[in-house]
Amino acid sequence: MTVKIVTDSLGDIPSDVARELDITIIPLNVLFGEGIYRDGVDLTTEQFYQKLAKSQVLPTTQIPSLGVFVESCDELAKESDEILVISNSQKMSASYEAMVEAVEKMKRPGRVEVIDSQWAIMAQGLIVIATARAAKKGASLDELIALTKKNIPRADVRMVFDSLEYLEQGGRIGKARAFLGSKLKITPILGIREGEAFPFSREHSRARAIDHLYYFATSFSHIDEMAVEDATTPREADALAKRLKSQFPKMNIYRTTVSPVIGAHVGPRVLGVAVLGDRG
Amino acid sequence: MAPTKSINGQDLREMFAAAASWLEKSSADIDALNVFPVPDGDTGTNMLLTMRSTIEESQLANDHSASGVSKAMARGALVGARGNSGVILSQIFSGLSQALDGKDAINGKELADALAKASTVAYAGLSNPVEGTILTVIREAAEAAQAHAATVSDDVVSVVEATVNAAKESVANTPTLLPVLREAGVVDAGGQGLYTILEGVLHYLKGEVEQLKLRRPWMVASSIPLTAKSPQMVGMEEVPYGYCTNFVIKGEDLNPDKLRKRLEKRGQSVIVVGDDSAVRVHIHTLDPGDIMSYVVPMGTLHQINIRNMDEQYRDFIEMQKERMPAVEVAIVAVVAGEGLANVFTSLGATFIVPGGQTMNPSTKDLLQAVDVVTSDKVIILPNNKNIVLTANQVQSLTEKTIQVVPTTTIPQGVAALLAFDYEADMETNAQSMEKARTAVKSVEVTRAVRSTKLGGLDIKKHQAIGFLNGDLVAVGDKPDAAVQDVLARVNLDEAEVVTIYYGDDTTSEEAEVVGDSLDEQHPRLQVEVVKGGQPYYNYIVSVE
Repeated sequence: MTVKIVTDSLGDIPSDVARELDITIIPLNVLFGEGIYRDGVDLTTEQFYQKLAKSQVLPTTQIPSLGVFVESCDELAKESDEILVISNSQKMSASYEAMVEAVEKMKRPGRVEVIDSQWAIMAQGLIVIATARAAKKGASLDELIALTKKNIPRADVRMVFDSLEYLEQGGRIGKARAFLGSKLKITPILGIREGEAFPFSREHSRARAIDHLYYFATSFSHIDEMAVEDATTPREADALAKRLKSQFPKMNIYRTTVSPVIGAHVGPRVLGVAVLGDRG
Repeated sequence: MAPTKSINGQDLREMFAAAASWLEKSSADIDALNVFPVPDGDTGTNMLLTMRSTIEESQLANDHSASGVSKAMARGALVGARGNSGVILSQIFSGLSQALDGKDAINGKELADALAKASTVAYAGLSNPVEGTILTVIREAAEAAQAHAATVSDDVVSVVEATVNAAKESVANTPTLLPVLREAGVVDAGGQGLYTILEGVLHYLKGEVEQLKLRRPWMVASSIPLTAKSPQMVGMEEVPYGYCTNFVIKGEDLNPDKLRKRLEKRGQSVIVVGDDSAVRVHIHTLDPGDIMSYVVPMGTLHQINIRNMDEQYRDFIEMQKERMPAVEVAIVAVVAGEGLANVFTSLGATFIVPGGQTMNPSTKDLLQAVDVVTSDKVIILPNNKNIVLTANQVQSLTEKTIQVVPTTTIPQGVAALLAFDYEADMETNAQSMEKARTAVKSVEVTRAVRSTKLGGLDIKKHQAIGFLNGDLVAVGDKPDAAVQDVLARVNLDEAEVVTIYYGDDTTSEEAEVVGDSLDEQHPRLQVEVVKGGQPYYNYIVSVE
């Protein structure tokens, strides 16, 4: 029996990829004042940023009620006795805690395991994709757990920010606080370390910051999976993906966008590269 | 289901118990905020322990009316209070209980009035109330509660909601009232703690059990932009000394007001709260024995707690190190002008040594800076060719490991600083900073101090002269023209960013004109005009 793979919407996995690999994505919620939207379901990334531009209030985000997690897992439990849930970093959202709690509340508890990916955006997404691919080939739950845990330290991501204000407002700034308050217009390049935002580098121009993303990807000696994601600048992301493609001609590079919930915390004009692979 | 019309004694117990668990989730984060009044970094823990004592006592109360329970809470808070914020919190509970005296249950309006009373009592407990702290938060929250109850609705939940919203706003505003918070780039820890407690109460009253369980409180962001924090700021603060001394006196006819006045002559940060049968004292003193001897004839002493503040301060410094990434490498930069100093600090320089073209710092000046920073590894950015050698001397005079990145201009220094990588070690950083330094072009414009001939140019005294990477290339009557002249020698089509730092003698209007004309001629260029405030140079321009 195929093990079912579940994750939350913070991994930014494109819906066609999720369909193809049979990944169940539980959407978090984004709130504009009174309006509640399920991440990527009721609101696309494009619609989100249109709303953001017009909205008087800053959006907030929340995990869905426990019932949504429980129902989704119960639904899957009808199809398989074994489920592997790979969540967003628990230092960034309550998704992991909620999923663990949901598993306890499930009506038909087959064997369900929950792993904290310790990542977000496509770094989380690539780990889930690799695991889902192995699941499709018939790997056992134990093998999938081992694979996921092996891949967690192999993932990495860098993201160019236009502004850190959203990250700060949402309380997800972490050590990237060091980049706040600059008297010059700098372009921060953040990543994730130990499950939290980390200030890696900064450039004085966006073009150079994008170069930084390129060199980040090319610093890997071996790459399993790669993704380029954007928020509001698809042409920039396409150009970067093309540039990377010419460096890695055989690589399938996922092109995706940040989900609305991620968007609420990173703001417009972010651009990121995620890699699952090995260095040196 | 939670009540909305009124709150009775049992509700009080439960809502504050929920608030205590809510506070517990963020007490460590609140600890990290603590910069005032002494940097001892444990406000969150102190408030949490105070709340626990409050709740425990409330559960022992035999009188289950709002009056009885709130009295028990006030008692619990008083005996359990720790730290400044804990003591003020206990005053708030004391005020609540005074307002609830004789009441079985209270409605929204009575709750608002009780908060106002709590605010009054909290202010009265301090000899020198400071705004921008938990005091401001309770006062503004109470004012909002009363206004809401009077004009909108006296429904309990809606009053508490208005209270929480006002508290949040008040917390965000604390850095505008207290410079020490502004410098550290944080909101007031005690204020955040109180907001979190009120928010916990609101979640409980709204029946948001899942929220309380699965979420954690949000830390309020400062309403003003953060300036970069650095160990330098901490090092420059007045270092507290002596002993933080806390105890409770139990006796008869104690007079808290009189005692406070007496103790103010014997120590600092004096807080005296209580009534004629029990008084809690908090005081900073060089000689705790003296204080003890003074108060012991008044009654019996309890819960004596004396802590060495120098140790507390050391722990605070350690904690500051943990909060910021990679402070194992500090950066000392030589900079003249307030604007430029701000630029360097905002980009992460740990210590600024004032100096530059006309005032070269001594090796001793640099050595002192190196000694002051908490890190054992220090990178020095001299930012002037006359200071590079001085900087190189420092290594032989200190145990610390020094790397000099030989920046000879301000633009080189900024470029080097931007290249600093929080994850890399000092060696790697020094290399990448050196690389960044050489990639930038520097333009400097000043006035000639005498007439001369140089580089084939005839220069009259007071004429504007322009340098490109240290070489004199332009002369003119006005600095603005000289800048344009030098920039004309740089291939700006290959450049991406031009930053114009204008000096002390230059107005922002003049500088904007230079910036605008660059913008017009080179629309693809990112042009930034920044007040450098430097002496001597009318303009320093970086081309990247």
